[in-house]
Amino acid sequence: RGSRCPAPPCPGRALRRPLAGLARAAVPPQRWASSFAEAGPTDSSPSEGQVFLSESCVKRLLEIAEGSEFLRLQVEGGGCSGFQYKFSLDTVINPDDRVFEQGGARVVVDVDSLAFVKGSMVDFSQELIRSSFQVVSNPQAEKGCSCGTSFSVKF
Amino acid sequence: MLVRAITAPGLRRWCRGRRGAAAACFPLGRALLGVRGAEAAVFLQGLLTNDVTQLVAAGDAPPALYAHALNVQGRCLYDVILYRLHGSTAEEPHILLECDSSVLDSIQKHLKLYKIRRKVTITPCPDLSLWAIIPGEQPGDASSLPKCADQALLLTPDPRAEVMGWRLITKKGANLSEIIPGSQVGDVQDYHRHRYKQGIPEGVKDLPPGVALPLESNLAFMNGISFTKGCYIGQELTARTHHMGVIRKRLLPVSFPAPLPTHGIPEGAEILTESGKPAGKFRAGGGELGIALLRLAHVNEPLCVNLGGDKVKLSATTPQWWPKPAAK
Repeated sequence: RGSRCPAPPCPGRALRRPLAGLARAAVPPQRWASSFAEAGPTDSSPSEGQVFLSESCVKRLLEIAEGSEFLRLQVEGGGCSGFQYKFSLDTVINPDDRVFEQGGARVVVDVDSLAFVKGSMVDFSQELIRSSFQVVSNPQAEKGCSCGTSFSVKF
Repeated sequence: MLVRAITAPGLRRWCRGRRGAAAACFPLGRALLGVRGAEAAVFLQGLLTNDVTQLVAAGDAPPALYAHALNVQGRCLYDVILYRLHGSTAEEPHILLECDSSVLDSIQKHLKLYKIRRKVTITPCPDLSLWAIIPGEQPGDASSLPKCADQALLLTPDPRAEVMGWRLITKKGANLSEIIPGSQVGDVQDYHRHRYKQGIPEGVKDLPPGVALPLESNLAFMNGISFTKGCYIGQELTARTHHMGVIRKRLLPVSFPAPLPTHGIPEGAEILTESGKPAGKFRAGGGELGIALLRLAHVNEPLCVNLGGDKVKLSATTPQWWPKPAAK
């Protein structure tokens, strides 16, 4: 399977744009064969959508992920605005997960959650109040709560 | 179906005290939804105003909980009573949710929208019946304790207010006089009259979705909200109002001294003081009783509604069951 570049503005150019740090949908390479028994298809299809990783996200993940750890992003119902993002470090990839890799750092989203975050970027933001992984510029999200954890969806 | 020994200490005390007032049992037209699964409590916790973990915690917590589901803007969507059916924390959580039957479909859609990957199942329970048992006013023959446990799933005090008596969940078609000897099945219209007399809102007519505000609807007085739990949908406005705002209007019981025109008073009808100042809006009612959203400043004044040129008089009362210092 060929690798796919997510939709950058110029079709036909395979150049990665360092600033945006766009991720490519992961191709299961040989080095992964040992980390999980089932080689499920973890490429997302165009309709399923993609998640992008920012430079700071990649950098931070490379610092903190140990061994086969990756960043898992899930969407849960609840929270002040209806839906909330949940980040965790995980090591197990399931058949209904989609993997997004950039520079050796991986972000994994299950298909149900992906429907809510496709087109978003995962960023590692460092502010005075906290440093944390955040989902930014989610095209599906409408107003969120003041702390950024919860969001509602445009229908 | 879970069968549990029915103990209702309040009911026993009340029966003895009244020397046998007949319990009036009302079949309610409210729907019951079963929510079960390992994540049932966590799932509901993010959607409702009250602390669902209290319902499922180990210990003697009452098996009923009142709560509202709000929309993102903090307005009421559904008023619900939760019942704990599972016996202990070792069992998988099994919660029954009582709601207005006209919104059973939309509440299911609402829950399914936010379910995503939670390990819960949501299924209606058409094989169960819900009853309200209201303390009667006249003395009568001795009522004894509920004896027949296998037809009744749950008998518990109404979590909203003592004046609302008890809630009983049975299998459909159960014979009530076997479960509560000496009880009489009443007309549900009398149940609604009792609610309006006490000022207890219930269902979409009293709490229009997207319109009613939880704190103005006396959610806090009815034990339906926790201000110490984590985030739920609509929490921001509610918490902010509670901590910083002043609640100037509340739902109050009103009564009309004179007979009303046949179509009654329309929802939203403006209520005025004698001098013509706006005092609030009529919400819902039946016969000569109802509830209205009224400015607390005008509660004890003579009020009226303008109905096609006629001034219809009404008066409001502050319910006895409201917490005393806060009733201002």
